[in-house]
Amino acid sequence: MNSHSTFKPALIMLFAALILQFIPIAGDWVFWKPNFLLLMMIAWMLYFPDQYGIEFAVIMGVFSDFIFLSTLGYHVLIFSISGLILIFFHRIVVYLHLIHRVTLVFLMLLLIEFMRAGLDSSIDKLLSIEGILFLAVISAICWIPLDKVVRHFYLLQK
Amino acid sequence: MTVDNYTSVFDSTKSDISQLFIPLQLLANFPYQMKEWVGMNTTSRTKLEQKNVSLEKERLILLGQLQRSAELAAENLRLRQLLNATELLMQSVLVTEVIGVSPNPVNHTVTVDRGTNDGVYIGQPVLDADGLMGQVVEVYENYSKVLLITDINHALPVQVLRNGLRSIVEGISDFNLMALRFVSPTVDIVEGDKLVSSGLGGRFPMGYPVGTVSSISQKPGEKFMEIKVIPSAKLDRSRHLLLVFTIKDGDVTRDINE
Repeated sequence: MNSHSTFKPALIMLFAALILQFIPIAGDWVFWKPNFLLLMMIAWMLYFPDQYGIEFAVIMGVFSDFIFLSTLGYHVLIFSISGLILIFFHRIVVYLHLIHRVTLVFLMLLLIEFMRAGLDSSIDKLLSIEGILFLAVISAICWIPLDKVVRHFYLLQK
Repeated sequence: MTVDNYTSVFDSTKSDISQLFIPLQLLANFPYQMKEWVGMNTTSRTKLEQKNVSLEKERLILLGQLQRSAELAAENLRLRQLLNATELLMQSVLVTEVIGVSPNPVNHTVTVDRGTNDGVYIGQPVLDADGLMGQVVEVYENYSKVLLITDINHALPVQVLRNGLRSIVEGISDFNLMALRFVSPTVDIVEGDKLVSSGLGGRFPMGYPVGTVSSISQKPGEKFMEIKVIPSAKLDRSRHLLLVFTIKDGDVTRDINE
């Protein structure tokens, strides 16, 4: 199986992530809605770091900046730092059990959210750290089906 | 990041590119519209009859109140003429539907299905059934972007309905809370006070409900009080909104509820 075969599923997953990102949510759930683009990026970078490397993280960051209408470079910075962490972890993650992978992704998401909160405070944005834990829990739960799909492609390629 | 954060160089580019995502927003909204459609088409006859009776009662009550309001409006007009006051402004409205919500929880904006084709303009006030929602900030041919009053970049001149005290209410990126700024500890304001738009600045029409004072506190050493306000409008729930057209008296060109 060549690298082109993962392009189509990745594109479909990107489209699905965008739709999920745009689905309106009311009340406090707005703050606990996972960043589906980030989750998608984590899944593909963990399993296919040679095909979806740091450039992929930067492109997804630029894409997110336009979708969220955030300061240009804000998501690029967060996504590329996350990408660097992911590249560091990918060698062990593929051998772990699902529970351990989810735990690792949960811890990674916590780190990313704290990094985002720190960045927010440094550019005079609203600092919101109250919902970080719950957001990371929900994101980790949402990551399970993503992991299953991408792992399926990983095993196929292997 | 620094350039974009402190200047507006990239604003137009960002806004143009974000337009490309409008079809996706419509697609994301499709399940909700489908649910509404299914709900509407599967309601039983009994339920529809009950709803009809309740709406008829509500209509009678509102008609009664309207008679009183027409009398008050006429009296107001007479008094203004006596005082040689400026021409009275009237408003007509256009019903619109929310078709998209900003995916960023900090940016409180919604996309509505009316644009320049319907006469929508930048700065136009937007209401829901309960109060002021925000103002139009971007207009395209068939849709517009509305900045909600709870957005961190939004400020709105208000007055206390009970005593006319003027202040400014600012968004804090929380759909259920806003902050009333620059209120000195000596002024007469209490919890439960209703706030309405003051009309100052000329952007929002006067007298629309904005919110209710929910808490008042003062930190030692601070010059002003910390006042929290609960918005009247259901900012994160309302689907159908009203775009307000302010027109001069005697120049009514748009039909109400067009």
